[in-house]
Amino acid sequence: MDKVVAHTDDLAPGEMMEAEFDGRSVVICRASDGDFHAFTNLCPHQGAPLSKGKLCGAPEPTDEIGTYNYKNEGNILRCPWHGREFNIKDSGRMLANERQKLREYKLSVEELSVADGNIILYK
Amino acid sequence: MSFIDTDIHERVSYEQLLPYLEQPWRRYITDCHWMQEKHMPYTQPAVAGVDRADARLPDGRPAGSDLGFMQEQLLDSNGHEYGILTGALDPSPSSMHGWYEMATALASAYNDWQIEHWLEKDSRLYGSVHIAAQDPAAAVQEIERVGDHPKMVQILLPIDDILWGDPFYHPIYEAAEKHQLMIGMHHNEPPIYYGKWPRYFIEWHTLIPTSHMNQVTNMIFSGVFEKFPRLKLMMIEGGFTYVPFLMRKMDQQYTDLRHEVPWVKRMPSDTIREHLCFTTQPLEELKKWELMQIIEQMGSDQIISFSTDYPHWDYDSPERALPPRLDEDLKRKLFSENARQFYPKLHKGGRTDG
Ligand code: FES
Repeated sequence: MDKVVAHTDDLAPGEMMEAEFDGRSVVICRASDGDFHAFTNLCPHQGAPLSKGKLCGAPEPTDEIGTYNYKNEGNILRCPWHGREFNIKDSGRMLANERQKLREYKLSVEELSVADGNIILYK
Repeated sequence: MSFIDTDIHERVSYEQLLPYLEQPWRRYITDCHWMQEKHMPYTQPAVAGVDRADARLPDGRPAGSDLGFMQEQLLDSNGHEYGILTGALDPSPSSMHGWYEMATALASAYNDWQIEHWLEKDSRLYGSVHIAAQDPAAAVQEIERVGDHPKMVQILLPIDDILWGDPFYHPIYEAAEKHQLMIGMHHNEPPIYYGKWPRYFIEWHTLIPTSHMNQVTNMIFSGVFEKFPRLKLMMIEGGFTYVPFLMRKMDQQYTDLRHEVPWVKRMPSDTIREHLCFTTQPLEELKKWELMQIIEQMGSDQIISFSTDYPHWDYDSPERALPPRLDEDLKRKLFSENARQFYPKLHKGGRTDG
């Protein structure tokens, strides 16, 4: 099954939106490099709607106490409830616990014009 | 399944309190820009400050400030039978150090606003009496004034630099017993390092239960429950997984050191089972067997009561926070029966008669 869930023009890099696929809510994210990623719109922790959270960056792990290196602007999806951080460029992997990931959808972009195209999800 | 939520935060703006304040209190807000200063050193912890990002109102008003939105997002969608309001802790009269007169006026204004805009607008909502606990005589007056409202179920005490067993608070306990009110304890200032702040918020949030342990230990060994046999205590927003340790430790100490506190006549764990109840949130992720083990060590499945802490960022979902496949009987206790037993006024469904 495949379905057009959004258009490339709907999102600027660093933005996300909710869409519907196969009767489920999904969150479509556009990373800072312009690529699109789609995940089930349900936080694996307690089920919050991820699309209501924030695409932001995160301080990377550091060896110096008191040092903050803020990286990855636009690629970290933070849950609207307890704030868990998921890296959309790394299959939705959780920053604090690598063993957990968001459920990702296969996706392709069909160029229709220079400006806009279809974002298609597959199952 | 019916559900009684034991910790919901409604939020007031200072402007909304104005109609309930006499002069000169009103003008301290309108003319002198009074605001309670918190000196919070941290970034607000989550995506939308201390609130769930999806609980902010579409028109930009803060989470918890609108009854209609709360009904839709929380009460209707979870099928709440009752919800107990605990305030948004701003203003937080009990945690004002100094200017007790203003704190007392604010507590009264808050209670009147709460009754008019929440308790009398939704039959499911019950409330907490706010007081200025730094001034126990004024606090007792406020309890006398609003404590008999059929939907006021508890008095909120602060966690501050006077521990709750101290005779300082005893007049408040006496008034609580008289009006069938329970005591609700909710942290409002950093619960560790009395008067100071932990270096990181993550420490604060991790150690909330330690301040609950301080308070419970102090109350029990001060003999509060011997002196006020009908007093009950709801420990709000500290979870409950620390309780088995505390029971065991206190019983051991009592066995060895009873002679120091001869007014204490029962094993502390029995007192806890008889007089205390613990709200669940913020719950750690537990497997079913882990939860069952904790309950077994507490020696009771009747002193835990589910709470969401809506609309705060550390909200617990009634469907997802507890492990799946719990027995129906246990679920009924956690989600409604235990709270119903704990708060006698809930039996009456908010009626003044009978
Ligand atoms: S529901 Fe997403 S972090 Fe808890």
